[in-house]
Amino acid sequence: MIRVESIAIREFRGIRDLTLDFKGKSFAICGPNGTGKSGVVDALEFVLTGNVSRLSGEGTGDISLKQHGPHVDRRNDPDKSRVTVKVTIPSLSKTVTIERNLKTPADAHVTPSDPAVLEVLRQVRAHPEIVLSRRELIKYVLATPGKRAEEVQALLHLDQVEQVRVGLQKIANNCDKQLIPLGTVVTQARENLLRALGVCELTKDNVLAAANAQRSILGLPAIADLTGSISLKDGMATPTPAKPQRIPKAQALADIRAAREALTEITSVTTTARVADVTADLTALANDPAVAAAVKREAFYATGMDLIEAGACPLCDKRWDLDGLKKHVQTKLDHLKEVSGRRIAAETKIAPLIAALRKAQAAINTVVGYAALAAPPVAIEAARDYSAHCGTAVERLAALLPLAETITVLTKIPIVPQAVLDAIGALEKTVAALPEPTKQDAAREWLTVAQERLEVWREAMREQKVAKEQAQRARHVSDIYATTSDKVLAGIYAAVEKDFASLYGFINRDDEDKFKAQLIPSMGKLGFDVDFYGRGLFPPGAYHSEGHQDGMGLCLYLALMRHLQGSGFTFAVLDDVLMSVDAGHRREVCTLLKGEFPNTQFIMTTHDPIWLRHMRTEGIIGGRVQFRNWSVDQGPTRWDARDVWTEIEDYRKENDVRAAAALLRHYLEYESAELCHRLRAPVEFRGDAQYQLGELLPAAIRRMRELYRHAKEAGNSWNQKEIVEQLAAREAKFVKLAATSNAEQWQVNVAVHYNSWDNLSKEDFAPVVNAFRDLLGGFTCSDCNDYLRVSPDRETPESVRCECGKTNINLRKKSA
Amino acid sequence: MTTSPTPEGTPDVPAQVFEEFLQALGAAGASAELVARLRKTLLEDRTFSERALKEAVLAEEPLP
Repeated sequence: MIRVESIAIREFRGIRDLTLDFKGKSFAICGPNGTGKSGVVDALEFVLTGNVSRLSGEGTGDISLKQHGPHVDRRNDPDKSRVTVKVTIPSLSKTVTIERNLKTPADAHVTPSDPAVLEVLRQVRAHPEIVLSRRELIKYVLATPGKRAEEVQALLHLDQVEQVRVGLQKIANNCDKQLIPLGTVVTQARENLLRALGVCELTKDNVLAAANAQRSILGLPAIADLTGSISLKDGMATPTPAKPQRIPKAQALADIRAAREALTEITSVTTTARVADVTADLTALANDPAVAAAVKREAFYATGMDLIEAGACPLCDKRWDLDGLKKHVQTKLDHLKEVSGRRIAAETKIAPLIAALRKAQAAINTVVGYAALAAPPVAIEAARDYSAHCGTAVERLAALLPLAETITVLTKIPIVPQAVLDAIGALEKTVAALPEPTKQDAAREWLTVAQERLEVWREAMREQKVAKEQAQRARHVSDIYATTSDKVLAGIYAAVEKDFASLYGFINRDDEDKFKAQLIPSMGKLGFDVDFYGRGLFPPGAYHSEGHQDGMGLCLYLALMRHLQGSGFTFAVLDDVLMSVDAGHRREVCTLLKGEFPNTQFIMTTHDPIWLRHMRTEGIIGGRVQFRNWSVDQGPTRWDARDVWTEIEDYRKENDVRAAAALLRHYLEYESAELCHRLRAPVEFRGDAQYQLGELLPAAIRRMRELYRHAKEAGNSWNQKEIVEQLAAREAKFVKLAATSNAEQWQVNVAVHYNSWDNLSKEDFAPVVNAFRDLLGGFTCSDCNDYLRVSPDRETPESVRCECGKTNINLRKKSA
Repeated sequence: MTTSPTPEGTPDVPAQVFEEFLQALGAAGASAELVARLRKTLLEDRTFSERALKEAVLAEEPLP
């Protein structure tokens, strides 16, 4: 998609003012911990995507990009905090400047901003995975299958695929859930209708036979068919309003019996046992404080998830990215899955109790209606209160939390107050004492009640039918989506799996060249097993070392990116991703990146100068910067020759020789290590790699003189007198520079040792500084000013050369 | 397997998943209206919220 030519960072994170010229090539940023490397990574991510994942992802707490992105001294001045990059877009052959500031991080100032450019930058913004840190990388390797799928999907920008899968599944589950109460309503309506009809089975013939029997009493014509538009009461005269409403005696007695049966079910042995079972489960949950709290949290998050609609937290109204907020809450829910399972199990056991309570409530409500029609009225308050109690209990059981309250309600379920039974008994007695209605009145009452209940049942059936159709449709859609997305993702993962195994096998070809791996997607999860020396396939963390796991993470990332971005994979930032990989395997990583990803610009950070050297030696990077230290006021300071000599001179002029000497010593130590590496100078080995200046610089000088001697011998063997003379002149000049510095005397003459520099006056220290600046110049090419190096970097030395190629000193002698 | 590339040559995998899903849904007998609603939500509007999906999946179907 893009290549970054250069970046300018102002007042951003720990950086005050820093410009790096990548020249569109791979680039390394090296420095000890805390010197500002990650600030550059953050700046790149920010300017390209408008976000810094380290400041906005999981576990960042109260940290925010807008508040904590600016340099700490500019935290109230976010518009001063800005990053500018110059990028090239290979597919458009265009160079574009992008600038963002932290006052309006979402708005990038793009020049030129034609639609094609903006579309490419939109795609870059949509792929924040161009920045990969070790923390993120290792997640893909060691995560649980569910978490890995989430991470890999985020990496591949497949979160949309997962979001739809979760959404469709949730819709299907909710539809299924709605069927349960609707089923209860239908059952109750059906039972009420059967009671009204006085039949055992609800068939069209039974309904017509019963209704027509009543209609014939009233002299009404028989109904031939039972359709939705026909009423059982068709043709029946409407009662005059003045006539007080009568209790339908037979029906009322049947309904009172039904209420008694519902209450009997409530107090039955089955219900009592069920209550005891659920109470035991909930008590166990409630007695575990951690679980109880987790149940609360889980329920809270689940409710919160349902309420997230407009990109704001439903609790504190803080604005969030909608998808980000949902993901944030979902992550918390996933962590509470075990608790969620126990909650669902308890809810399943509670469901029949809720159904029994609803049934009793409906039955009592029906008989309570009769009490109001009685003359004189029957005192039915106890039954009415109990009905309300049933409603409250249903709500409590459905809510589940707080557990203590639910347990209290549960234990009272099998108890029906005697006053309720007495009130119903009194009503039954009153109804039984009513005079028998005439046949015609009874028929009218029968048809009225039957029609009412038929309509209620029909409506309940209609609602249930619609809900069932929706549930079936939602499940069908969800199932097909799950199958299809798994199939497509399986295809992607199969290709990635092959590429991953190939890449990992390459960097470990010394001992794992037949390496195999398996990526197994299933229902939103992604299993990942790797071969362990032919002994079988195991999770990556089972037997492989941390270094191997780092290598796996990088190879998986590269395989995924190559597959999914294809030719668009032109830029990636690798933030200290090979921390645990040993030197040998890093060299292989260099070869891999150079050979397999020649069109990708990698910006890599490391705290390890040896890894930096590998990258340079292997030719993978076109440029580098080495940070020396960092301060709040200045930000990172780099090992830049111009900066260092200026700084030393500034200290000296201020008569701070101690600081000037310390900096000179530190810088010479750093440069001497580089020289020894480049010239392949022998230095007494130290296991801790903590070499001192007194060990390094004299070794580099000795080696340079030795190389000049070899070069002259080689020139003589080829009879190249002119070249030999030139070499002698260079050597003489170099020897003089070395002698002026006195560095070779450090071992034998403590009076000129660098440890004594602190005691010099600023005037006496000036020639020392000049001597070492000139000495370092003696190791460089006069054209490109880069340090000379021995080539090749292993085996028999053949030449001494520079990066620009102008200096090329032959070391090979003519064969005898 | 191939993925439909964007103008930059970057395959749009979510779009490919959605397209294959809609084809499978149609082949499995789902109504043309349901497929059209989901196509609009997933591929045209590119909205993936539960509310948008619910509207697409559960909208009242025309009578047969």
